[in-house]
Amino acid sequence: MIGWLRHQMHALTSSLRRLSAQPVATLLTALAMGVAISLPSGLYLMLGNLDRLAGELPAQPEISVFLDTAASMTQKRAIAARLKQADIADARFTPKEEALAALSMEQDLAGITAGLTENPLPDAWIVRPRATSQEDLAKLSDELAKLQGVAETHLDSQWAERLQVALAIGHTSVWLLAGLFAIALVAISGNAIRAQVLSRRDEILVSRLIGATDRHIRRPFLYLGALQGLLAASPLAACWRWQAGCCTRPSRIWPVCTGRLSSSCRQLHSKSQPYWALPPCLAGSVPGYRWRARSVRSRHPADFREKGTLPWLSTHRLRVLK
Amino acid sequence: MISFNQVTKRYPGGHEALTGVSLTIEKGELVFLTGHSGAGKSTLLKLIAAIERPTSGVLSVSGQNINRLSHRAVPYLRRNIGLVFQDHKLLFDRNVIENVVLPLDIAGLNRRESLKRARAVIDKVGLLNREKANPISLSGGEQQRLCIARALVNRPALLLADEPTGNLDAGYAADIMAMFRDFHQVGTTLLIATHDDRAIAALGGRILHLDHGKVEEMSA
Repeated sequence: MIGWLRHQMHALTSSLRRLSAQPVATLLTALAMGVAISLPSGLYLMLGNLDRLAGELPAQPEISVFLDTAASMTQKRAIAARLKQADIADARFTPKEEALAALSMEQDLAGITAGLTENPLPDAWIVRPRATSQEDLAKLSDELAKLQGVAETHLDSQWAERLQVALAIGHTSVWLLAGLFAIALVAISGNAIRAQVLSRRDEILVSRLIGATDRHIRRPFLYLGALQGLLAASPLAACWRWQAGCCTRPSRIWPVCTGRLSSSCRQLHSKSQPYWALPPCLAGSVPGYRWRARSVRSRHPADFREKGTLPWLSTHRLRVLK
Repeated sequence: MISFNQVTKRYPGGHEALTGVSLTIEKGELVFLTGHSGAGKSTLLKLIAAIERPTSGVLSVSGQNINRLSHRAVPYLRRNIGLVFQDHKLLFDRNVIENVVLPLDIAGLNRRESLKRARAVIDKVGLLNREKANPISLSGGEQQRLCIARALVNRPALLLADEPTGNLDAGYAADIMAMFRDFHQVGTTLLIATHDDRAIAALGGRILHLDHGKVEEMSA
């Protein structure tokens, strides 16, 4: 156990020494990784906030309930009773005469309505439900359409639907972007570790010859990747904190919006604080594992061979070439 | 300690470096491996350290069958073998003592104990006043002595040396051979590949002559 800890400490300190020996390269890599992490996560946060904002805005969708021309008085009374229930915020009855008069007010249609011998419009109720979510509205609209004496209902919430669709597209693209940046993250840290492996080639070779296990050789590179990920993630942490602090300042333009943003920022920040540095760390370590494996395995049989032999060609590959 | 039984090593491309070699080296022996270059001296040493594997035949080192040794077991075999290279294989990104400490770090020894042992062995090869120097500033003979120190710091039972005096003038070569004689006297098994006849004459010991992949015993 003590030996194991000693090995871990040794790997950690050697990785730290390596990183601090090349501060500029380390910072540049951390910067690239930080951008790759913060872009999709920032977008995701923004979309999440928009989502909540859209859900809670006083959207005032309306359902127009058109009555059947042949509806009986009893049916009309039943409908009126239904529209007084708790899930309806407001219901306004528009008799067909009023509707026709309103139509006649429209300049373009005045001529047409004047020529009508009888009123073709149905009686209607303009209903404002309490529910705001798309699902509940659709459910209520369907329920009302099924009432006796109702010809049809019309849910007037196109803009809300469009917003929902736009948000859904936004979510998909954020996930796509996150996927792409995850690949970029692995590639960036892979490249950095590859450079390290190449610059430490001699050390790897000699270590193998004097009895280092694969794990011993791999360990510093894993730590290197993890440290780089951590380094990339820490400015991001500062950013979140700053953003959360910023948004608490009152804004006259849209207090609701800023309030929401800040609370969700803080939520995200406090909820996952210890965990969200993990993905970049892991992303950093993965290439460490890969590159170590490739460099060490393929080079080992060739290390005594004459100079001029390509050291990275394994014996199998040499056979194929010949 | 080491036994070859009809061992053949053929490299990809068909070149046969060793052909049906059979020999036994006992614990504590001092053995010289001679022969012109390309005779298979280095291959023989590489087989013992499991850097290469035999194509056919049976090779056992300290009771372990090298043919069947798993990839994971190789490092533990090598920790019992000290390797001295003709080109030293030193690391120039660290100083003398750090180079010597490397095998002990790999073995997971406590740092203070490692440094103590490293200093002792550096003292033995006469480099104690250069312990903080970078190996690049050392002369060829000093670099070779450093390489020997690194091979010995783990107190291996077996020391393999591939042309340890290859690039050195007679004075340095004699120094190094004298060092080898000391190690032999404390019971280390030594296998030295060389074509330096003066060194062989100075130390005495068993001589194996390799010629075109075949081995023959020679009297000193």
